[in-house]
This record gives sequence, structure tokens and C-alpha cells, in this order.
Amino acid sequence: MSADLWVEQLRSGHPRREQTVAKLHDALLRVARHELSRRRGQLGSIRGPEFDDLAQQAADDALVNVLGKLDEFQGLSRFTTWAYKFAVFEVSAKVARHAWRRQPPSRQEPALELLPDALAARPGDRLERQEQLEALRIAIGELTDRQREVFVAVALNDVPIDVLAMELGTNRNAIYKNLFDARRNLRAKMAAAGHPVLEDAA
Amino acid sequence: MTDPLHLDELLRARDGDAGCTAGVDMMDAYVELELAGEDPTRVYPGTAIHLQSCPGCRTDHDGLLEAARRFADIDPE
Repeated sequence: MSADLWVEQLRSGHPRREQTVAKLHDALLRVARHELSRRRGQLGSIRGPEFDDLAQQAADDALVNVLGKLDEFQGLSRFTTWAYKFAVFEVSAKVARHAWRRQPPSRQEPALELLPDALAARPGDRLERQEQLEALRIAIGELTDRQREVFVAVALNDVPIDVLAMELGTNRNAIYKNLFDARRNLRAKMAAAGHPVLEDAA
Repeated sequence: MTDPLHLDELLRARDGDAGCTAGVDMMDAYVELELAGEDPTRVYPGTAIHLQSCPGCRTDHDGLLEAARRFADIDPE
């Protein structure tokens, strides 16, 4: 089976290890380049050698991770899919770092007056929408400082969650927890104010 | 009636959300199920909920799904 062969040939001492490591690195590099291209919107004007260097770094670091975690591969996916996960995560982290250095998110107070732009109303909904937005504004103002900062940045201003995590000196999971708690609080406050938010079926 | 779906997306916070860390280990298995035409939400319901709400994990998932679809069929030989 291909997955077993990959693992076997990547182990120290295998006669084909060097070729197999090179082949895996080529594949990781291909994935890193593709993933960087997919996230090009966060990279600004980066191109040419800098783009290639970022892809090389991501592939190199992913390879180190894969080789260090060979024993953790459980065979729940193709080996390559498992390995590519590390390339995607490396690209994710490197793109966030690059974006953060290029343009750190603003730490200014949230511009809540922009809420109507973030939530487009349908024709004929304006009065009820205005009341709902006012309830949302009030609810956002009652969040904790951290919850408000995270909700406005990620949910309203589309700041990438990893970029915000860098700005605040924490990690994605912690930011997501703040976001989740903020959303929960806002739902509860909206409901208490007579504007419950219905859940869709998704 | 206002636009409940849009606001629901903005305030999406479902019970059973597995969080970011839980999805890291099984993201490869999750996308393989998708590529096989199976339903990963039955096997990993908490991660499925999470992927609807977390933009970072969703982007990683989408990237891995595409990479696996395009580049994963290679042998070591």
C-alpha cells in the first residue's frame, strides 16, 4: 500500500530514504506554492524570489514536521494528504506573519456606525433593520473589551483571525474562543432586547 | 422580517463546536471523506460545526481539500 511505502521509505536507514525525502519535498513545495497563490490576497505585492522563498520555507518546515511525526500517521487518509496538511498549516502561519508585518490591524475603536454596510438590508426591511442594528450596536457596546475587539475585527472588518492573533500576542484558538463567546453574548442580548436571531438550518 | 440568515451567519455560535485544536489532527481524514463522496459531518460533527464558524480553519480546510484533490495521488517510487 502506498501509505505504508511512504512511511517505510522515509524511515532512517532505508536505502531509498534520500530519494523519497526529495520526492516528498517536491510535493510539499508544489502544495505550498499553490496554497500561497490561493492566499495571494493577503500577501500584497509579494512576487518572484520572495514568493518562492516563502514557499521553500513552508515546504522545508512542513517536511521537518512530517519526518518528526511519522509515528503519528494513523492511516486515516492517504499519506500525501496527511503530509500536505502540514504544508497548508505552514503556509497559513507564514502568510499571517507576512500580512501582520505588512499591515497590522488597526487598534482603533470599532466604527459601529459602519454596521449597516456590513449587514445589507433587503428593500422594505429598513425600519425593522434599523431597530435590529440599534440593538446590535448596544449589545456590542456591552461586550468585554477583548470580545468587542475580536468580534469587530474578525466578524465585521474581515481581519484574518491569525493576523489578529499575532497582533494580540495569542493564538487562533484563543481568538476563536473570544469570538464564539462574543457571538453567544450578542445572541442572548439581542433576544433579551426583543430581536432574537433565528438559526438557519446549516 | 429582516435578513435572519445574514445576521445568523454573523453571530453563528453553535452548540457542539469542537474548536480549532480538535480539527487539526483529523483534517486530513475529514477531507478524504469528502473526496470519497462520504459525509464527514456524521463522523466529525463537532469539526463540521466549527468549520462553518471559524474563518481560519475553513481556509485551511479548503486549501487542504484542493491540495488533496489535485496533488495527492503520487507514490513514493
